[in-house]
Amino acid sequence: MIMPGSAGETAGLLRRISRTPLSVMEVCGTHTVSIFRSGIRSLLPPTIRLVSGPGCPVCVTDQGEIDAAISLLEKGAIVVSYGDMFRVPCARGSLSSKRAEGYDSRIASGAMDALTVALENPEKEVVFLGVGFETTSPATAVLVEETAKRKVSNLSVLSFHKMTPPAVKLLAQDPELGLGGFLLPGHVSVILGHDPFAFLPRQFGLPAVIAGFEPDQILFGLAEIVRQHESGVSALRSVYSRAVRPEGNQKAKAALERVFEVRDATWRGLGVIPASGLTLGKKFRAFDAEVRFDITLSPGTPPPGCRCGEVLTGRITPPECPLFRTKCTPASPVGPCMVSSEGTCGAYFRFFKGDRS
Amino acid sequence: MTNDPITLGHGSGGRQSAELVSFLLESFRKRGIGPEMEDAAVIPGGYAFTVDGFTVSPRKFPGGDIGHLCVCGCANDLAVRGASPDFLGISLVIEEGFPKDEAAGYMESAAKTCGEIGMSLAAGDTKVVPVGGVEGLIMTGCAVGRIQTPSVLSSSNLQEGDSIIVTTSIGRHGAAIAASRFNLSVDGLESDCAPLWPALQPILAEKGLRCMRDCTRGGLGTVLCEWAEASGLHISLEEDAIPLNLQVRSLCDVLGFDPMYMACEGCAAIAVAPGCAEDIVRKLRESPLCTEATVIGRVLAGEPSGMVSLRTSIGGERLVDMPFGELLPRIC
Repeated sequence: MIMPGSAGETAGLLRRISRTPLSVMEVCGTHTVSIFRSGIRSLLPPTIRLVSGPGCPVCVTDQGEIDAAISLLEKGAIVVSYGDMFRVPCARGSLSSKRAEGYDSRIASGAMDALTVALENPEKEVVFLGVGFETTSPATAVLVEETAKRKVSNLSVLSFHKMTPPAVKLLAQDPELGLGGFLLPGHVSVILGHDPFAFLPRQFGLPAVIAGFEPDQILFGLAEIVRQHESGVSALRSVYSRAVRPEGNQKAKAALERVFEVRDATWRGLGVIPASGLTLGKKFRAFDAEVRFDITLSPGTPPPGCRCGEVLTGRITPPECPLFRTKCTPASPVGPCMVSSEGTCGAYFRFFKGDRS
Repeated sequence: MTNDPITLGHGSGGRQSAELVSFLLESFRKRGIGPEMEDAAVIPGGYAFTVDGFTVSPRKFPGGDIGHLCVCGCANDLAVRGASPDFLGISLVIEEGFPKDEAAGYMESAAKTCGEIGMSLAAGDTKVVPVGGVEGLIMTGCAVGRIQTPSVLSSSNLQEGDSIIVTTSIGRHGAAIAASRFNLSVDGLESDCAPLWPALQPILAEKGLRCMRDCTRGGLGTVLCEWAEASGLHISLEEDAIPLNLQVRSLCDVLGFDPMYMACEGCAAIAVAPGCAEDIVRKLRESPLCTEATVIGRVLAGEPSGMVSLRTSIGGERLVDMPFGELLPRIC
């Protein structure tokens, strides 16, 4: 095991021990942004290729799901969601452009904001878009339970929530990607604990390290992956032990159990992954926007030419997409990877010198 | 620009704002009577002139209110062009039903700030509109002052080798407002809203002074991108040198914002000729507003030209680009 040091020391160590080519996927969008923002890529040796994974919640939200959210606005509901969702476009606009047309979409900083909006607008239907992975789904679970307990009849939840491990598993076994290690999301692991990712070393022999989000922690995680890769012995390690307990957050997991049922979900770029999504369980059907508004979530068609799917799975880097920086920019994004603050294309556009100078 | 409606993104101070402004100015520019793109205009007779509208929500925030903000915004626009804050005009558009006391309270803080910097109210206008016509109150200020520098300060003065100074820790206004909007309480987080004139006046006679800019909407990052793009030069920054307080850092961490793009209301970026930085920083630090003033980077001739790059705390390198659209809090 590598000992923690300063970012500079760890980067130096990593460069010294890395001998053979290695592709590492950083699963989480927050990791992606921190890597770009801190310039970590410029410190890595040429042997290491970082591949940004599907861990940006907005990016993997399917076009059909965005369409459903917009249709709720058009039906007169107040739609409440996280800021990142606001600029994701569908053919009929985005939550942001719809707001400019006079529809009522509101930015929340937490799920419970939706309850406040519902209580303040008793004459209107309010829908919370539940977006994200294990980091946000427990908050949605609490919102649903609280809504049921207080019998707030004008609030419902449209759940696009997804689970991280099934997507990671799909990517780990894709020979075309040739991934040699995973930098696992710290916040997701705070909820899930170690077990759900233990299949990576056990089943696929891949180094897997749970890391925090500061640049020194990311470098530390990467160095540990490189060490495992070079030594040929892989294991699941957490270098984020101050936040992640091996058993995870039992309370949050119990809330998820109580409120949600597992279902198949459509991921942008990855297609339908069996048992990877969360829908409201039977007991809470009355608060399920799919039931209340008779919505059937069906896979949508991505915008023409958009290759976000391939970016999300690490098959191409953003500059390899013909739309990148030509038709698709943060000002007029075509796909979600350019929209989201955690999207790979947006991060390349904003931070990366390599393809511009 | 397409014919899409104007969105909040166009009001956020980044690239979209620049596009909107340029779109709206077309009628003037084609007649050859458009303005230069600086914080305040230099007009014949040695005066600078500016106008600035304020619609902040909430109207009262830790560190100030809309009245104080209106005066600081206008006076700071003048100060960064080397002009003293002499005369102010205020226009109020008030929604029917707005409490009289509250409006008077904002005028009181505006008057107090004016008094502190020797600015007098020379003109004003009041309109009341029906409910829904505006949200509460819009306060617009217009200010005129005499230019006190030996030559005109302008971003066109920027040259290779210049040092970039920032006068105080960045992002405090934007962070304080974001905290209020998203109901986050951060102990000790306050807007930096303050008149810069008393701090900047002592450096106006310095020969090496090239240009100054008030880092308002869009923050320090946007100002420096504008300078780099306008001059075609490369601005290279040191992340560790940029003053950033713990409160702003924490709030940005929580919401996923970049402090470089958070609005300031009492902070200026200053470009100075090689060899002059030390003197100017020392003079700035004599003001209680600018005790953290420091050199944060340099203007270079090399690649990437027209862009801003940042050497990060861990020794990596990346670009700083102009932000796009509204700053939206991230999901997790």
